[in-house]
Amino acid sequence: MTKDVKLNAPKRRKIASLEKKKARAGWIFVLPFVIGFALIYLPIIFDSIKFTFYEMTNVPNYKGGGYILTPVGLENYYDALFVDPDFVQTLVAGLEKLIFDVPMILIFSLFMAVMLNQKMAGRAAFRAIFFIPVIISTGLMADISEQNMLMQTMDSAEGISDGTGSSAASEIVTAMDFQKLFANMAVGEELLNYVVSAINNIYDIVNRSGVQLLIFLAGLQSISPAIYESVKVDGATGWETFWKITFPMISPMILVNAVYTTIDSFTANSNIVMTFIDNVYNKQGRVLSSAMSWIYFLLVLAIIAVIAAVFSAFVFYQRKD
Amino acid sequence: MNAQNLDNMPKVKKESKNKIRVEFDRTPLKERLKAKFLSMFFVTKVIIYIFRLVLLVGVSYIVLFPFFSQIAGSLMAPEDFIDATVRLIPKNFTLDIYKAIWTELEYITSFANTLFLSATAALLQTFVCSFIAYGLAKFKFKGNSIVFLCVILSLTVPHQTLQLSLFTKFKYFDILGIFQFVSGGGIDLFGTTVLEGIRLLPASWDKFTANGIELTNTYWPFIILSITGLAFKNGLYIFMLRQFFRGVPDELEESAYIDGSGVIHTFFKIILPISVPMMITVFLFAFSWQWTDNFYTELFMTGKDAPRLMKDVIEIPSSLTKEYPGQNLYYSAIRNTCGLMIIAPLVVMYLFCQKYLVQGIERSGLTAD
Repeated sequence: MTKDVKLNAPKRRKIASLEKKKARAGWIFVLPFVIGFALIYLPIIFDSIKFTFYEMTNVPNYKGGGYILTPVGLENYYDALFVDPDFVQTLVAGLEKLIFDVPMILIFSLFMAVMLNQKMAGRAAFRAIFFIPVIISTGLMADISEQNMLMQTMDSAEGISDGTGSSAASEIVTAMDFQKLFANMAVGEELLNYVVSAINNIYDIVNRSGVQLLIFLAGLQSISPAIYESVKVDGATGWETFWKITFPMISPMILVNAVYTTIDSFTANSNIVMTFIDNVYNKQGRVLSSAMSWIYFLLVLAIIAVIAAVFSAFVFYQRKD
Repeated sequence: MNAQNLDNMPKVKKESKNKIRVEFDRTPLKERLKAKFLSMFFVTKVIIYIFRLVLLVGVSYIVLFPFFSQIAGSLMAPEDFIDATVRLIPKNFTLDIYKAIWTELEYITSFANTLFLSATAALLQTFVCSFIAYGLAKFKFKGNSIVFLCVILSLTVPHQTLQLSLFTKFKYFDILGIFQFVSGGGIDLFGTTVLEGIRLLPASWDKFTANGIELTNTYWPFIILSITGLAFKNGLYIFMLRQFFRGVPDELEESAYIDGSGVIHTFFKIILPISVPMMITVFLFAFSWQWTDNFYTELFMTGKDAPRLMKDVIEIPSSLTKEYPGQNLYYSAIRNTCGLMIIAPLVVMYLFCQKYLVQGIERSGLTAD
């Protein structure tokens, strides 16, 4: 019998061909992306890197249009790093802000996701409100609300603030309040300032944690209720359940969100480095701005690599199969 | 024995076919209330409940307050901005700002153009991204992980980095130098031009094709980027949809294959219908991010002959220009009103679709592996 099966060669080939067929079908599905990536995206990236080694001059339309490139070597990079007085400073400040913002957004969105995942009255309404920033506070609207002087004036009269204002009057809490509160606790001044700045930037944080909230919520939904049930039977408290069950189960999501938040906040228009580069693009020269953004991109890529490496050491994967 | 048992048994007060009402000693109401409300368990529950409610209401307030203030400001007359007693409630109620934006800034034209652009782009993106994501999720082929890595790369590189080259790409649009070749420009091979002078098109077309086709100030850059899954945040959509499709059991497709259905036929007839909530989620994202986008529209649509879009609505209407002490605030209110009118259609759409948004995300079973 076994011999028969072994001799049954055509059948085996048939299976292989089905797999091949499926592989070919897979290529058909991803074809639009592959074509676009090869013919449009790669040339764009290649051009963008190439431009940074050239000086670019536009040819007026009556001479036929187009542009002329003259090679200058590493001059643009040299200009960005050593000639421009503000770039390095802005870069350092931007990266510092990035490192401060990412944990804040992660903690906030995880906290809110856990809260919105509980059963309570009006949960649907709260969810709907919390997702509004995802849909609305991008692009044009972000630009408008950045210049919204009116809201600041409206706030300051009542003393109620949402933290968007920069004037001292509109800050909810000041470092002083906290110092009084924690005078006897040795928490350190840096931590104190961190918490205070987080509270005063709450508007910004809420606006930027919409997608992360969605991803966390989806992750929480995918944890099987049976696990919670068995832990409850064993007598675990809510606190223990969170740290021993929810946190490990959600840890892959934390990795995803950490990377996404980093990407999102360094590509956001409100990012100071991006604003600076935009200004350079409009005023000094397009090529210089390209060189600057590549420097910035490489730095952030390095940060993402570090974050991914550090987080993935702690991530817990539940293998279903 | 029997008699004793009968004594202990509760007395039947009333008995009907379906119900029995019996008499038994119930703990008094006072005791019951005490046990319920004076326990530590109850107190912690109330505290947590209040804490949670305060927090959620507070954050909701933070999200919604800008809208309140914008709406309030949009209804105020210019005098209200220098009146110290007016804060959130307008004294001289007026709809002038809305009227001026409606009539002077060609709101309807911008609305129609943006609707066309966003709907086209979002439909294409939703469809193309689910197509790509399905291929990545369900088929094992060589290079699957490389393609996925490229998707993530396209999400990671900030579009500002590519600003200049995106612009030149679509200003002088040419794929592999085909347009240059057919108009006699030859082919660039590592810096040297070969095969020069072969004309496939009449010379009168040169101003269109010699330097590539100019696609700026048209909808084509958006359509091309959408078809190839490279538009704004498409990497995120592909990622989300891929996770969703991975959760769809293989048996569904296998049974379809056994019944003789082809791969693409199966995708359209089996997979797409069950992924409607997820597709609506992606559509909602794509539509609203395209609607309020100002990076791509300002990059590609800057010329005088460009179609009017929502970004052009943010302006001070000429009939409202006014030199007076409250000018800054007034102009700020006008800009806010422009913003409100831009997002009004989105809010209406969101109210209808938000149910699907949460559903789609919940069912996606997003996992990181």
